[in-house]
Amino acid sequence: MMFFSSYKVFKMEQFFTNSEQIQNIIKGFNLTKTLFVSSIIIGEPNIGKKSLARYLFPNAPLVSGKNQVEVEKLLTEVDELIITDFERLSNQESLNFDNKRIIATANYMGNQQIIDNIFAFIYTLPSLKERPDDTDYLRNLFVKEAQSTLMIEENTISIADIPINLSDNSKTMKKTIYTYLIKHSMNNKDIQEAIYYYILENLSGNNGYKEHIELYEKPLIEAGLRKYGSQLQLSQILGINRNTLRKKIHEHRID
Amino acid sequence: MNIESIDFQSFLDWDNSPFILFDNQSKILYLNNSAEILFGYVSKKELYDLALAYAPPSFGHKTTTLSLNYDSFMFYAITVGYENEEQISIRFYNAPRIKSSIPMERDKLVSTNINLLLEANIALFKTKNTNTLQLLADHDLPSFKIDQNAFSKLLRKTLNAFRSSDSIRITLKLLIGEHVVISGKKKAIVQLSIDANGRYNDEDEEIRSLATKSHITSLLKESSIKLEIPLIE
Repeated sequence: MMFFSSYKVFKMEQFFTNSEQIQNIIKGFNLTKTLFVSSIIIGEPNIGKKSLARYLFPNAPLVSGKNQVEVEKLLTEVDELIITDFERLSNQESLNFDNKRIIATANYMGNQQIIDNIFAFIYTLPSLKERPDDTDYLRNLFVKEAQSTLMIEENTISIADIPINLSDNSKTMKKTIYTYLIKHSMNNKDIQEAIYYYILENLSGNNGYKEHIELYEKPLIEAGLRKYGSQLQLSQILGINRNTLRKKIHEHRID
Repeated sequence: MNIESIDFQSFLDWDNSPFILFDNQSKILYLNNSAEILFGYVSKKELYDLALAYAPPSFGHKTTTLSLNYDSFMFYAITVGYENEEQISIRFYNAPRIKSSIPMERDKLVSTNINLLLEANIALFKTKNTNTLQLLADHDLPSFKIDQNAFSKLLRKTLNAFRSSDSIRITLKLLIGEHVVISGKKKAIVQLSIDANGRYNDEDEEIRSLATKSHITSLLKESSIKLEIPLIE
């Protein structure tokens, strides 16, 4: 296991990884840190490319490829530069990287021939799906961050129950954690308010009661069935007729 | 002046083209300096067999155009001759070397510890491949001037040729006693040699062209690549 940290003004930059592939990338960068070579890190969005570049070169100016004019300007002024979103630059071929230390990041390769020509080191950063150890670490980190942001007590949640959504790597992972924590920490008043704003937005037509009663009935029956197992028992708990319950299960298409 | 009194041997000794005289038992009767170096790269038997294969049908001398390649030696023709049953000679014609006309871009050259670039490229290689590498590097090599970016690219392509090879061995050393002349000055040579059980050759052309641009001699063979880098201080 490797844990890296470096100090940047006001902020602690960290990059955690257990992936051997990334450790080799870090090794390559550390060896060439003082040399004038151009390197690019390519990989899916939201997997830590920019954080890695920032961690390795805490003092280098950083510019996004979305801002072509600024990239060109900085290239004439500095000899060490981080360029993110490199795939967004339309003038890749005309950039002059001679005797400069360039660290670029890109979501995809784009024109392989050009990338091959202008970069000495072409690294591929594995996505989070390929890094289960890193994913666990990030989940704990995001949960802690979310708990602190949302001011939720630490011991009320079992981290292992939180689903990991890696469809858009760390972005969806983070979002899933925040939504999960919010849903699991709402009280009666929060839920009423959430429904209030939802209805305020959506209530219309001439069948509003029927259309919106499922907001209450569907979760009530679903949670009830999960908790008490049988319809018979649930009808007793809810204090309604078993046939009424069955009718409602059918109405709300509950399996 | 009677020409028979002139001793021609020293002219032959110092001829840049290898010349060998065998007896009919394949024993070497005479070889010039250039042939002596050639024997460092090819066996006596191979050259004797070559002489027999290209010998004229009867007494006399025959020149055959053919392309021969022994390490950095390149020949475009040989002459095999015999005037009796006892001796047979073979002479090799050096293929002209294309002299690099590319000027050296001095402002791009930065004094560099080449081991750093090599190790960084090995780290890059390891992010993509799991083959085991054996590195034998001379860590006492002095820093010398290279275009770091261009040289890294060359290293990446060179290593990439071994992406699915086994028993990859990399050696980096100073070639003792060999020199290359650049802009009229003698430079020592650092040799990077990579060999394995086989390799890809899909990027050979690019490796050659990148090497030439950096004034590096590249020797690409079936299962090995050698780069001879001028040590510019």
